[in-house]
Amino acid sequence: MNGIKLHKKLEENTGLLIFGILFVSAIGGLVQVIPSLYDESLSTPTANTRVYDAVELTGRDIYIREGCHVCHSQQIRPLVAEVERYGPYSRAGEFAYDRPFLWGSKRTGPDLHRVGGKYTDIWHEVHLLNPRAVVPESIMPAYPWLFERNASQAGNIKKKMQALKRLGHPYTDDEIANAAAALDGLLEIDALVRYLQMLGTGYDESMNDMEGM
Amino acid sequence: MSQNTKEIYHDHIVIRLIQFSLFWVIVAMAVGVYLAAEFIWPEIDFGQFWLSFGRIRPLHTNGIIFGFGVSALMATAFYSVQRTSHVPLFMPRLAWFCCYAWQLIILLGGLSLLAGWTSSKEYAELEWPFDIAIAIVWVCFGVVFFGTIANRRIRPIYVSNWFYGGLIIVIAMLHIVNNLAIPVTIGKSYSLYAGAQDAIVQWWYGHNAVGFLLTGGFLGMMYYFLPKQSGQPIWSYRLSVVSFWAFTYSYIWAGPHHLHFSAIPEWVQSLAMVMSLVLLAPSWASMINGIMTVSKAWERLRTDPALKFVVMSLAFYGLATFEGPMMAIRSVNVVSHFTDWTIGHVHSGALGWNAMITYGTFYYLVPKLVGRELYSTKMANLHFWLALAGTMLYVLSMWAAGVSQGLLWLSIDEYGQLSFSFREIMAAMSSYYGLRLIAGLIFFAGTILMTWNLFMTMRGQKTVEVTPPPVAEKYRINPSPKPAADHTGTEVPA
Amino acid sequence: MTQLTLINALLKPHLAFKEIAQVDSNAAKILQKIVPLLLLAPPIFVWLGSGLFGWRMGADEALFLDNTSRVIISFCYFIALSLGFFSTVFIAHWMGVTYGADKPLKVYFALITVVYFPFLIGSIAHIYPNAFFNLLVLLLTLIWCMTLLYKGLPVALEIPPERGMLMSSSLVAWLLVGAVSLLGISVGLWTIGIGPAIAV
Repeated sequence: MNGIKLHKKLEENTGLLIFGILFVSAIGGLVQVIPSLYDESLSTPTANTRVYDAVELTGRDIYIREGCHVCHSQQIRPLVAEVERYGPYSRAGEFAYDRPFLWGSKRTGPDLHRVGGKYTDIWHEVHLLNPRAVVPESIMPAYPWLFERNASQAGNIKKKMQALKRLGHPYTDDEIANAAAALDGLLEIDALVRYLQMLGTGYDESMNDMEGM
Repeated sequence: MSQNTKEIYHDHIVIRLIQFSLFWVIVAMAVGVYLAAEFIWPEIDFGQFWLSFGRIRPLHTNGIIFGFGVSALMATAFYSVQRTSHVPLFMPRLAWFCCYAWQLIILLGGLSLLAGWTSSKEYAELEWPFDIAIAIVWVCFGVVFFGTIANRRIRPIYVSNWFYGGLIIVIAMLHIVNNLAIPVTIGKSYSLYAGAQDAIVQWWYGHNAVGFLLTGGFLGMMYYFLPKQSGQPIWSYRLSVVSFWAFTYSYIWAGPHHLHFSAIPEWVQSLAMVMSLVLLAPSWASMINGIMTVSKAWERLRTDPALKFVVMSLAFYGLATFEGPMMAIRSVNVVSHFTDWTIGHVHSGALGWNAMITYGTFYYLVPKLVGRELYSTKMANLHFWLALAGTMLYVLSMWAAGVSQGLLWLSIDEYGQLSFSFREIMAAMSSYYGLRLIAGLIFFAGTILMTWNLFMTMRGQKTVEVTPPPVAEKYRINPSPKPAADHTGTEVPA
Repeated sequence: MTQLTLINALLKPHLAFKEIAQVDSNAAKILQKIVPLLLLAPPIFVWLGSGLFGWRMGADEALFLDNTSRVIISFCYFIALSLGFFSTVFIAHWMGVTYGADKPLKVYFALITVVYFPFLIGSIAHIYPNAFFNLLVLLLTLIWCMTLLYKGLPVALEIPPERGMLMSSSLVAWLLVGAVSLLGISVGLWTIGIGPAIAV
């Protein structure tokens, strides 16, 4: 009955109860999450994975702003049918510069991790303006406002790149200085399409040998 | 100065929080119904960015979890902690601050989601200014709650308070760690973690926000209000002790089951799967405790519509806490992941468990707080059947949709080619989405009925003043600092 | 008399339940005889339907399975139904004590048989295995079954309706868990290669 006695102490002492809950609930995180944060295989980019340039980064933030990740995943599972449908399965290193990650949890629409290069720019533009013009069954919303706003107005690109540089993304000072100019004359839709077209291009054949698939 | 000598429980704040909770449930459920309609008629956003699916979906989830859920949890935590401690709230002004500041966060936060400010992390979408505000209010909530417990006049800390305590402490830890980010502008920040690591941290948060808020927090509600409503002590106090600690320990591990077959390490996935299965035991322990407690109180069902909701909520709690571990098994998850089955699972919990137990608690609590019978028992009974029908229809239609999606996405023909294109499968879901919309409308209609019923009950009434009852000598600690406060409630001049 | 109990079970359930409640009436015996039919018919309908029309999960093309798979699936379905049926009988019997019922097992047997009866009728829909159509029929059947359960249980067990409500809800919890287990088990079987061909 020692357990009961011990519990009686917890049960009568506010401080002990707070500490007890904090301690017991922290164990799982300490054992599971902390080692993952130091696991370099998760944070080392693959050979072809590079940082997003100014336009792609702007496009990615538009993707986040519009909540595309709510209906589209960016994570291909290593299943035969999935690889056949979407392409080579996703590797951790391909996401090394993804802040935040956009793997998603629901596929109302298809996975987009390897959508880059699958369709033309024009197709994407028409699709985003009126999805049912190219996919009659589609239930995707239309995004007409992306065609009216300038890409340079979608956030302060210089500050964004500076913030990411502080987090370790290898941007050169030149890239940051020229960032705003890169967005000149582009609409939000252009930036978004540029981002979609580079999705999944971090893949290269050598990854197959590496993992002995 | 002299008129304030009588000690009274701070119940005004409980009423106000219940009103806010009712407001948010109407708003967030209306948004949910609208989202369900957008699945069928995607044009009904009328080209307006603030009606776009991707922006209002987080409004729906945040409105339900943090608007409806947390307001209800704060209300019931404040109500029960006073009564289980036999002392009024510690720092009542701070409690009022929590109440209003929280509503302001939900209101402005909701608008910011429409404006496209989002961190994209599920259930943690609000951007950094709101994250900081939430952390501050949450700490204040903790100060009021634990302060009241520290001031208590009765020696043992009742079990409902551990669950509420677990809610406050663990959510604070999760919220702070998951939302660490470098701000860029007022509405934009970049996560401190990247890629796969960000995913692990997010689902450690996301899963346990469900765990300690929607499961643990609401179990606190059950452990206080179920014995009160049924007039029976909790069936097994020892079981509640064991289940609390087992729950708190094992829940935390289960997060990465949201990332099965993803690019995170195998050992993390396997560990999460095993711990998810372990989790079934403490989850069901609380269900059994609840069911056995209420089984002795059947006579109350005759007059009390509230208890029905609680009984049914336990059934759905049992379903959801069984279904979750099952879906965490890799060979089930391979089919269920990314499909509407997940949505159905969430709603069997959110509608069947969270909403129903909260509704049951409100039907019991509101008449008590204002000292008047419920406006209409008939209406409440009708609401019960609407809620049950809505939940059942929702869950079944999403089961069917989810299993179909999962199977068709993976099915191959005799040549090893994919049998169906994605768009074919997507188009086939529309009839299920139609059923789901009907289910949502039925459940929403019931909720409107309840809000009207409770509004008519509260209308024009004043909050009943309750004084803390005396504590038996044997259990007494922390005698009142002011001897003037008389437990029997008679006025004593200062 | 024989036919009467069955017809009553469908048309005038309260009469059937009253009859079941009388321990020495032979209603329970009669109902026991139809249990094999109740458990065998739905799997046979599945076998028939999957051969005649193929599975339609909503997509245009039907999924046709070879005969072996169809037999295995129907057999698994039979096992699942039997497990569901008998476990519900025994669990109801076990639960009964908590809710103040004092009846022999055969009364529970008869009660669950009657409650299950609409499912036999609904399962005819399996002959045309279109997922959405079956879901709609299942929903109607479910409403019918649940009405029988909530109304009939207190009558058959002779307990107050309020206790009956509690006990019925506990059984619903059990049945929900049973239903989701069925989903989980089928999905698990698909993953290991039994049933429709999926590539994982």
